[in-house]
Amino acid sequence: MSTLSTGLGAALRHRRLAAVLWLSLLASALVAWYPIKALFAAFDEGAFREALVKGWDSWGILSFLVVERSQIGLVLAAFLGSAVAFVLLQVFLTGGVLRALIANRPRPVFRLVVAESAALFKANLWATARFALSSLFWLGLLVVLPCAGLRKLATHAPPHGGASTVLFWWALLGGLFVFFNTGLRFDLARIALARDDARNARGAYRIAKQRLSGRRVSGLRVILFWLVVFLGVQALFTSAGLHMNPRTNGAVAGLFLFRQIGFFLLAMARVGFFASLLAWEERRRPAYSVMGSASGGTTWNVSESIWARAPASAFPETGSSVTTNGSALLSS
Amino acid sequence: MRKSLSGAAVALMLAAPAFALEAPRKLVDYAIDVTVDPDKKTVDGRETLKWTNPSDAPVAELRLHLYWNAFRNDRSTFFKESGGRLRGDKADTSKGWGYTDVTSMKWDGVELVKGARFESPDDGNPDDRTVLVVPLPRPVAPGETAVLAIAWKAKVPRVYARAGYVRDFFMFGQWFPQIGVYEPKGRRRRTDSGWNCHQYHANSEFYADWGDYRVAITLPEKFVVGSAGALVDTKTAGGRKTLTFEQKSIHNFAFTADPRYVLVEDVFDPAKDIPADEIARASKTLGRSEADLRAGFHKVAIRLYLQPDHRAFDRRHVEAQKWALAWTGLWAFPYPYAQISIVDTPEDGMGATGMEYETIYTTLSFKALSYWPLNRWVVSEMVTIHEFTHGYWMGLLASNEFEESWMDEGINTFTEFVMVDRKYGAYLKVPPGIGFTDEEWNRAQAALTQDHDPILSNAWKYAGEGSYGRNSYPQPGTTIQQIRLLLGEEAFWRAFRGYAERWRFDHPTSEDFLDAMRAPGNPLVAALILKTWYGRGWVDFAVLDARTTPDDGFTGFDDADKPVNFDPDPKKKPQKKPDEKKHKGPWQSLVVVGRDGDIEMPADVVLTFKDGQTVKRMWDGASGWIKYRVTSSSPLVKAEVDPERRTVLDRNPWNNARYTKKYEGPSAAAKGRTYALHLVEILLSTLWGVL
Repeated sequence: MSTLSTGLGAALRHRRLAAVLWLSLLASALVAWYPIKALFAAFDEGAFREALVKGWDSWGILSFLVVERSQIGLVLAAFLGSAVAFVLLQVFLTGGVLRALIANRPRPVFRLVVAESAALFKANLWATARFALSSLFWLGLLVVLPCAGLRKLATHAPPHGGASTVLFWWALLGGLFVFFNTGLRFDLARIALARDDARNARGAYRIAKQRLSGRRVSGLRVILFWLVVFLGVQALFTSAGLHMNPRTNGAVAGLFLFRQIGFFLLAMARVGFFASLLAWEERRRPAYSVMGSASGGTTWNVSESIWARAPASAFPETGSSVTTNGSALLSS
Repeated sequence: MRKSLSGAAVALMLAAPAFALEAPRKLVDYAIDVTVDPDKKTVDGRETLKWTNPSDAPVAELRLHLYWNAFRNDRSTFFKESGGRLRGDKADTSKGWGYTDVTSMKWDGVELVKGARFESPDDGNPDDRTVLVVPLPRPVAPGETAVLAIAWKAKVPRVYARAGYVRDFFMFGQWFPQIGVYEPKGRRRRTDSGWNCHQYHANSEFYADWGDYRVAITLPEKFVVGSAGALVDTKTAGGRKTLTFEQKSIHNFAFTADPRYVLVEDVFDPAKDIPADEIARASKTLGRSEADLRAGFHKVAIRLYLQPDHRAFDRRHVEAQKWALAWTGLWAFPYPYAQISIVDTPEDGMGATGMEYETIYTTLSFKALSYWPLNRWVVSEMVTIHEFTHGYWMGLLASNEFEESWMDEGINTFTEFVMVDRKYGAYLKVPPGIGFTDEEWNRAQAALTQDHDPILSNAWKYAGEGSYGRNSYPQPGTTIQQIRLLLGEEAFWRAFRGYAERWRFDHPTSEDFLDAMRAPGNPLVAALILKTWYGRGWVDFAVLDARTTPDDGFTGFDDADKPVNFDPDPKKKPQKKPDEKKHKGPWQSLVVVGRDGDIEMPADVVLTFKDGQTVKRMWDGASGWIKYRVTSSSPLVKAEVDPERRTVLDRNPWNNARYTKKYEGPSAAAKGRTYALHLVEILLSTLWGVL
């Protein structure tokens, strides 16, 4: 089974896990709800109510942006609060989501995810800080510095000449490449933490480096595949949502539900991505063999020291998982 | 030297004729030879300036503009006012300075430079070098033509304010020693004759007299040159070429040079390029036959000097140009020149972008604007239309941009949004129909914002760049739109075209335009002009209250002290209020409509009832508020003032309606909140790609 099909299968199977992520999105968005509610109260009190129910009213919206600019400022501030809440929630939840996937437990998951997330939160927070710093460092070194140098060299060159075209594409593609690389290592570090391959972020990053060694391209392929899925779902639902233009209160409720389905699918894509990456990582764990013997004993052929400890809460002794070097194989 | 022949009589005729001119009064002729060194960014020039004294009084000194001295150092008035920034572009203060030095000026063989001095008539800045005053050995007599031989050298500034260079792109605007305007008594309503020669300010443009130009430009052969004139001669020698251009009846001469230009040529052909529906509309509105409107139109050569990376814009600029030629020809008068040149500035030379000169202007292209969805934003077309039409309100009706900047920019903003919205339908429109018009964009910048100046002010005397911008562009543009709505289409456009035809080839003042708008005799327009051009007037209509209650008849004591519809016995329970839902009528409604601000405007007030019936009343708006009490069979659900949105100056259109509790329609707020929440979720979920 390929890593991608493993991910797709997991995305469909672990719907409750996706629901946890979707709820985290909705809850974060609702942080901005009260300023949004206050801002849009004017829609029902003012001259553009019926026009806006019918559709777009250009003067209504343009004048709204000017007349209500202070209230819009409040909404923007609240949005920043939403973003902070969302970032912290994702840092928190990712560890639990990974452990639920490793345990291959479609249900019940909520308590499991919260408990495992809490256990891993501190280490994941450090890993996130390291990711932010390493992204800044590598983006600065490999993108910003070369671009600044090239820009200086091309100071007297006309716009859109060879130098500026190289600069643009290097900034875009180079930036994405660097970002995906640091992101991939970050994700693998979090997997290492979830598998208890490492005790802290530093060790997890070291293990992530070992996993990535010589296999970067296939890892990036996993990221790109799920990025395309993510963008496709986002574009489809955003476009459809805009075109729906509900004209009744019932239709507005329908639009809300429809968009939440879209966000739920995005959450499923995130689950699928992590499942794919877990499968990818599983196949690239250090070489060893599990050999049966007549006595039923196991001979380990390990090229590096592996200390593994199944997290107690994640792996109840049900006997349903095949345990190799301390972690459960997906779909096995 | 040409001697005075007609004296005071000629001067009087030149001052202020009370009729429309067929051609401009030419008072200055220039013959210029200039050599450009593109490597050193220097200019060596010689010019023969013929200047005729248009007044009935002798003139003892001359005044010349040396505009590039605005870029001489950080003590110039221009630099002090602008802080070295203009429209988002910043001066290169390391090596981007420029200047103009007059090295010789002779009249009848007498050198005048030694006695010349700089003056700063506007702010007294002793360091400003943009106005050169040249005392004469003897006065120039009324009607006499003085012939001056001038030599000068100049350093081209790095462009951030209209003129200058970037790499080997050059824009030469206001680049030669140019004589100021000596206004005779009567010109622009002056009560005495005198020089009108202002310093170069951050927030001002220009003013000059008409004349004929012959300009010979020498520069390396690789350069492609576009100019205000027609090319009449080319000579090449030693890797350099001398191009000679001529243009009659203009009041400035600009040119551009860049080896990278791609020249796109086209022709405006009135037989093909005037839209049939537009000429039919103009004919009906103006009350003139189509044949009459077509008279005066002729073919116009269009030359677009395009940057090679902007090829995607060639048709966009040319089509916008053709539309502007057709529209201005119909609603003002046909373009009188044989050619128009459009300069597409490079993206690293945006300081030169969006500037008008006569028969030549600079427009805007950005490669990014050629890709979806930015290509749905017709900003490039808007700039082309805007800058070309300056050729009317600054060029052919040569207003004084120093003193009355709105006359160029404001009228031009108005005609720009009329043209853009008519041709393109919207300024920006992306699927599924989200966008806005150019008129709305300008209205938002004007009507909804506070300000500290009236429209009418000298350009350098506004509170700041923001106030200059608002009162020169969107505020007069939107106020003219308000006048249009007050007068109605026919009266307005007839007055508008009347103004354009009357002041063609002349120098109108604010009052000349405003007189044309007052002429149809609408007192509201006269009052509006007073409040906006000469004051800081504003208006805001609002529905202050709207309620509706069941009319249950008389309740209380009647005149005979008998209780009606209630029992006064304190021991008995009070009667229950009847259920409003079961009330069959009648209903009593109260609506209070207010007008804030000091501009008096009439407005319709429309009351809508639950059974779908509406009542419409015209309110003259003279008082601060008006109350309506209505008895109806159905409850009031909505009260609205100015439902057709004819008061474009309304500062807050959102308070123009109120709904009562009886309104049962769908909620726009719920829709807006839902979309806003989705937007937040979209943005947040994007972070999943990072975390």
